[in-house]
Amino acid sequence: MRNKKDIVEEGLLEKYLLDELTAEEVEKVELALAHDPVLKEKFQLLEADFEKMAFENAIAPPVAVKSKLITRLERSRVKTLSPNWLWIAASLAALFLLSTLWMFTNWQSTKNELNSLKNQSVVLQERLEELEENYALTNNRLQIINSPATIPFVLKGNEKAPDSRAVAFVNHTNKLVVVNPRGLPSLPKHQTYQMWSDVEGEMINMGLLPTDKDLVTLKYIDHAESLNITIEPAGGNDHPTVEQLISAVTL
Amino acid sequence: MSHHKEDVEVIKRIKNKEKDALYLLYDKYSGALFGIILRICRNQTLAEDLLQETFIKIWENIQGYDNDKGRFYTWAYRIAKNTTLNALRKSDMLIQTEDLGVVKDKGTTTTEVDLDKLNGAINTLEPHHQEALSLVYFRGYTHREANEAMGVPLGTFKSYVRQALQLLRESYKSELLLIWWLFVTMV
Repeated sequence: MRNKKDIVEEGLLEKYLLDELTAEEVEKVELALAHDPVLKEKFQLLEADFEKMAFENAIAPPVAVKSKLITRLERSRVKTLSPNWLWIAASLAALFLLSTLWMFTNWQSTKNELNSLKNQSVVLQERLEELEENYALTNNRLQIINSPATIPFVLKGNEKAPDSRAVAFVNHTNKLVVVNPRGLPSLPKHQTYQMWSDVEGEMINMGLLPTDKDLVTLKYIDHAESLNITIEPAGGNDHPTVEQLISAVTL
Repeated sequence: MSHHKEDVEVIKRIKNKEKDALYLLYDKYSGALFGIILRICRNQTLAEDLLQETFIKIWENIQGYDNDKGRFYTWAYRIAKNTTLNALRKSDMLIQTEDLGVVKDKGTTTTEVDLDKLNGAINTLEPHHQEALSLVYFRGYTHREANEAMGVPLGTFKSYVRQALQLLRESYKSELLLIWWLFVTMV
């Protein structure tokens, strides 16, 4: 067998034993050994001789090496338990992650709620301030109207405006005039009501009377003898248009 | 001599993850393997670690051992040799240069045993046969490295090894005959 002769002459058996062959050569030698009992026997003798030589030259290792080996292998048994610990650790980590996520989501929604509450609170605050302002104004006017020093005057419309009616509250002590113009008929956009005081035959401007308000505060004029309402162009006039006088009352 | 068949039983137990069986093999083979490891690396402390490492590898890779392909000792020897050579390569103690003769003196010997003196049948061989066998078997040299270390052509080196093994074979055979003769005469 040519293959066998090669293997023996090339010293491949020795090299195979010494682990010096390439994977390809190993395959070749192992195949030959499996099929050739004579070659196999030759190899077995070689193995036996090498082993014997090794035993003749054995050096006893210190006892500590075996103890260390045992310790290491016994410890590795503990290590084999470690996957359980790994699972526990992984589960805890996952749990922690989930709870963190849950807490984060909660925190986010709480943050959003807080923001919307803050906004609502700002709106409420604004409304409250507005109401307080309105209340103060209304209260102020009510006090003026209810004061014993205030005299109410009803300004009835003349023949030009028979259905019109306004109420003026005059307080000489505090020098205040407040008018309720609600009873005046509404005017086209280019016109407005204006109120005048008559002082020694001269008409003095007190201010405009917008019909969409409940109470209008006007200028108090000293020594006024009468109050007069005229219809004037929008924005008011410097002098009253006497032809457009619709109401007057003597103080 | 090793009891090949006994080993087969013990190895079966190691394959079943019985550590005690491994300790039995340790008791039997650690000396022979330590002799190899120490002669390759020439450092007592390192050799002790590498012996431990070798048995860890035997434990972890035992499923890869096939007793049809050879003796347990042959398999373990390869692991011990390769583990040691790899460790030396890693620690740069073995420099892979052309001049491998230098390596011989590089290692530090902290053991009391004379590592260059071999015992038993190999000791009866001619010096060049001894050296050839020693380099490839006890020092971890490849054939190519060893013939360069000895300063002879590869072909010559190969015949040294073959002759050495032949002489070794005859020596062991006559040893067996002597034992057989002693046994017969005593009976």
